[in-house]
Amino acid sequence: MPRRLTSGQVQLLLGLALVAAMVASAGIGAFSFAPERMLHYLAQAAGWLPSTDADALGRNVFLRLRLPRVLLSAATGAVLGVSGALMQGLFRNPIVEPGLAGTSAGAAFGAALVFVFAGGSGSALSFTAPLGALAVPLLAFAGAFGATMLVYRVSTAFGKVNVFTLLLAGIAVNAVCGAGTGFLSYVARDPQARNITFWNLGTFTTASWRGVVLVVAVLAICLALAQRHAKALNALMLGEDEAAYLGIDPGTLIFRLLVLNTVMVAAATAMVGVIAFVGLIVPHVLRMVKSSDYTFLVPASALLGALLMVLVDIVARVIIPPAELPIGIITAVVGAPVFLAILLRQRGEGGVGFHG
Amino acid sequence: MAELRAVRYVAGNAVILDDVSARFRPGAFNVILGPNGAGKSTLLRVATGLLRPTAGTVLYDDRPVRDFSPDALARKRAVLSQHVSLAFPLPVRDVVLMGRYPHFGRAPGAHDREIVSRALDLVGMREKGEQPYPTLSGGEQQKVQLARVLAQIWNEDAPREPKYLFLDEPTSSLDVHYQLHLLDVARGLLARECTVVAILHDLNVAFHYGDAFFVMDGGRVVLETDRASEIPPALIERVFRVRTHAVVDQETGERVWRFSL
Repeated sequence: MPRRLTSGQVQLLLGLALVAAMVASAGIGAFSFAPERMLHYLAQAAGWLPSTDADALGRNVFLRLRLPRVLLSAATGAVLGVSGALMQGLFRNPIVEPGLAGTSAGAAFGAALVFVFAGGSGSALSFTAPLGALAVPLLAFAGAFGATMLVYRVSTAFGKVNVFTLLLAGIAVNAVCGAGTGFLSYVARDPQARNITFWNLGTFTTASWRGVVLVVAVLAICLALAQRHAKALNALMLGEDEAAYLGIDPGTLIFRLLVLNTVMVAAATAMVGVIAFVGLIVPHVLRMVKSSDYTFLVPASALLGALLMVLVDIVARVIIPPAELPIGIITAVVGAPVFLAILLRQRGEGGVGFHG
Repeated sequence: MAELRAVRYVAGNAVILDDVSARFRPGAFNVILGPNGAGKSTLLRVATGLLRPTAGTVLYDDRPVRDFSPDALARKRAVLSQHVSLAFPLPVRDVVLMGRYPHFGRAPGAHDREIVSRALDLVGMREKGEQPYPTLSGGEQQKVQLARVLAQIWNEDAPREPKYLFLDEPTSSLDVHYQLHLLDVARGLLARECTVVAILHDLNVAFHYGDAFFVMDGGRVVLETDRASEIPPALIERVFRVRTHAVVDQETGERVWRFSL
């Protein structure tokens, strides 16, 4: 995508690519569906065409398994992309993403608590029982918020973020949350432990319409709110004092961004597990091909994040059939080298990203 | 008029500003002088509304600064800091446009874009408008930041209203050319109902550009005067802990100070 394309054109291209990828993803798998078959099933689901028993199996696979999976992967990717963009703006650094700042690990720990303890009556977390299906997202949110807040507070001094402190604090918080999650999977009974392991690597196999509704709703609300803060995110690039001179209260802005972020990451993590590096790569690619302007970056990160995740999900399904590769493995294999490339580039530029 | 009334600022047990009152001369170039640690930066941060004083009031046009909404305050006064680095590369024009943020909602209007162009013209950076900010030299970056604060309190066109520009050691890292250029542009604002309040370290530059002087020491304003010639050498020697020696420039008749320990 050359630089002379306008922001709108880049977004349009991303949108078209996303639709194409979603159609492909919906068609590919153990059951494959042609686009006209998909339309047929959709029309049947809407009641426009009569449903027949003959194609009940295909229809069920498509409507109950494939479609929610495609939608969940797209929504999750969009959430992670936007979250990465916000996180980088908040910390004023291009190497930050939810995985580094402890957000994902905190969410994972919170959710693992529910997995292991919420089941039995009289257990420490039986108070979550009335929360029902919302227990996992809520505890994931609590864990994510606590971890991110801790890392942010530790790495901020006199209104400036110290990136080295940030990385070290992130390592520490990740280690503590990782140890907690590890302990839980150790004490857990077998099926729970297996859940935690799978889920620590991210998976869409458990995609349900309930998960789709939750993540899409969170995405819609948070995306709209993030867009409203695009100007303020740009101003924050100048530093907290300069942003304040432009009429933005940095304290309020940072708190709102942290909450937005943790809501998004917690929702995605609660539904599909920990998926690293998407939040890192997506905004970075967009900064390179077009602009760091947040009025562009926020919506474009949603589109590119969704596109990337749909593609990764296709790879996860087709690479070792009939088994599936956990999503987190693929994103790490692709993402870690990109991360190193960014670091090398920064070193070449005299460490541009390391200025607080 | 911008005014501080009995301002006190305490951080922990340290009294940074001790009962400071100052009335900055409207439409003039006000200079704050003083040694490191005298409280100049804190005074500026209180005067701009960034810090809330422990006691006392800051007023713009007889209205307490706390009564302004954040956007209204940002349209009333702008602040140019010593050095502003950008976390991510943006084109120069987008950086200057940030000065218009307090003026528009979601998207800038044609009026805002025109002001950005004219502000870039004023600092002589229009042809670099599309260049990424981090690729500029330190002096050019400061020109862009100056254009940004000019766009923020844009007062070139009638009807004008009183505006305030605060400069926080804006020339510290600039070479002589960029120093003089920046201060000339700032002086040019005085004719447009803008009051300038600057912290300057180079005393000769300060005496040359300033219209009113506020000498600070130990958290207090120890001297306030409209004439550089009225600042006693003994005061400079005591406050800055140097010895002074004045030389008169044969051509201009202007007094030039030399310092030694």
